[in-house]
Amino acid sequence: MIRECKIIKEIAKGGQKTVHLAEHPEIGPVVIKRGAIKSFTSLERIKREVELLSELKSEFYPQQYHFYIDVKLKEFEIVEDYIEGYPLRESVSQFRNPKEIFSLLNKLVNGLTIIWDKNIVHRDLKPENIIIRPDGTPCIIDLGIARFLDLEALTKTISPVGPCTPIYAAPEQLSNNKSLIDPRTDFFALGIIALELYLGVHPFDPAYVGNEFSIVENILQNKYALNTETIEKNDKLVGFANNTLQTQPYNRFRNYQILNSFIAKYI
Amino acid sequence: MNVYHQTGFRDKWNMECFQKGIGDGLIFSPINIDSDKLLGLNGTLKETGFLDPQLYLLNEAKGTLDSYPYFPGNLKPDFTTPDLDNSHIQLAQLCVDYQMANNFQYLVIPTRYYTDNPTSYFAQSSDYFVTPFCDFVKYNKFKKKILLSVIVKTIMLSDEEKRNEVLNWITGHQHIAGVYLIFENNFASKQIKDFDYLLNVLRFIKVLKDNHMEVHLGYTNTEALLYSIALPDSITIGSYENLRSFGIKRFRDLENSPMRSPNARLYSSNLLQWIDYEYIQAMKSLIPDYANYFDDSEYKPLMFKPDFKWHFAKPEPYKHYFTVFYEQIKSLPISQEDRIIDLKGKIKNALSIFKTIENYILLDDDSDGSHLPTWFNVINAFQKELN
Repeated sequence: MIRECKIIKEIAKGGQKTVHLAEHPEIGPVVIKRGAIKSFTSLERIKREVELLSELKSEFYPQQYHFYIDVKLKEFEIVEDYIEGYPLRESVSQFRNPKEIFSLLNKLVNGLTIIWDKNIVHRDLKPENIIIRPDGTPCIIDLGIARFLDLEALTKTISPVGPCTPIYAAPEQLSNNKSLIDPRTDFFALGIIALELYLGVHPFDPAYVGNEFSIVENILQNKYALNTETIEKNDKLVGFANNTLQTQPYNRFRNYQILNSFIAKYI
Repeated sequence: MNVYHQTGFRDKWNMECFQKGIGDGLIFSPINIDSDKLLGLNGTLKETGFLDPQLYLLNEAKGTLDSYPYFPGNLKPDFTTPDLDNSHIQLAQLCVDYQMANNFQYLVIPTRYYTDNPTSYFAQSSDYFVTPFCDFVKYNKFKKKILLSVIVKTIMLSDEEKRNEVLNWITGHQHIAGVYLIFENNFASKQIKDFDYLLNVLRFIKVLKDNHMEVHLGYTNTEALLYSIALPDSITIGSYENLRSFGIKRFRDLENSPMRSPNARLYSSNLLQWIDYEYIQAMKSLIPDYANYFDDSEYKPLMFKPDFKWHFAKPEPYKHYFTVFYEQIKSLPISQEDRIIDLKGKIKNALSIFKTIENYILLDDDSDGSHLPTWFNVINAFQKELN
């Protein structure tokens, strides 16, 4: 399939993989991901992500067209939908008032419910991994470190930190407490994203919390800002933060039904 | 708030009272009622109650427990923990099927008892009981609500790390509607007088209610009144002491020490206490209106006759308790704030009556009101946290 594609440009290049925008004669624009398989664990993670995306078939996730592993070269290739739109990181201005934020959260939760119902936790929700399509529908990308609760864990128990983007990670990810990973882990990231959209800054940023710790240390100590010098507290977002940004999962929304009914009050 | 009968030995008393409108349902005890007999009971006795599966000790065939199809010893003789690896799915299916055949109100997931919970306890409980049980219910599209039974050990209340662990575990199960909580009681006194313990129980219940879970408290004694301020969904009434205080000894095949018959006691909703009958005899000769300290019920006239032979195995004091305590619980205000005010008033009133009584007779610390100041202080501390 890749041979049929015409590479248009490189979109991203990291230590793990390169991503190109390409044109397929029948499908149209696609994304080609190529990368090295560095270990059995990374191979297993890629396989799980590919298998999951191939069965999801939802506008909230990119469609997968092709997956290939070159055993000799220890490389993989994936062809998936090119998601038209912009990452949430670049679309924050669309989501500044609480109603817009809760409307986005509602859509995100609808999308995430699809994987939560399969006992899968995304574990890497952040503005860079949410593409806002032109019609406003979010598309959730990069399930590379998703935790499949029904399958054997791939993270070593002795690792001090579990797989995550630290500044969007829940405390149980930062302490690699694997037994605590469940949808409430994703609720924590949604809490950060919601407050970040409202405040325009990361809520655990020490500059706004008023201390000299790092963002990660503030997450671990549960210290976050609900307002800034220019933006006042909003009761609805304070309520959302208080039920998502808690250190102990039992102090967060218990399940997505409760989360949903809270969000539904404000859209 | 519902009131369930915690049945056990002499469950006939509970059923008789339930049929007279005392209690909202029955919690059935497999070690005390044969499996076929339970299946044959009238549906009205079962449809508002549930089964306590009692797999606490896995393979200890106390009483009639081995008549139940899900009893592990029926799957394999000398069943041990490693056998769960191969039998947990079958065991869960049999347990669900049996509960469905009885058409109980809830389906209850069993739990195991350990003196000291191993570090793998919660992971094993999920793998061996919760997951196969919920999967089977989901697969069969059974619509009944699922309760997870949990024995809460004292350390799970007092140690923050353990408390977090158990609360995260309970609330992490997405398919359960609530919990059937059993607080292990290792106290030597008949009433619980430990401030920290009681306050931690209230906090524990509150966390689960904040998580929108149904909370059903098993094996409660009169402290159920105190627990009511955390707004649980139900509490229990039981006859003998071992049905109002959970100890694993009741489920062991051979009890270690010989049974010592306790003195008969009578509950007073005015005193918020069970009074030893010997003190009632003393009150009778020293306090003219002594009978007014005790509630009226259809059993009272008989018990207050001069020739009544008090004995702990007689039904009247227990049936009196079922009636009086049920009415007392049902008369509690609905709102938390009002309930707290009401209970504090009741405690002050009870303490005042005790003072009057003690002008005439002295009571030991299992019949006096010495638990009530602790209750009062616990309520104040909990109330402060609510504000």
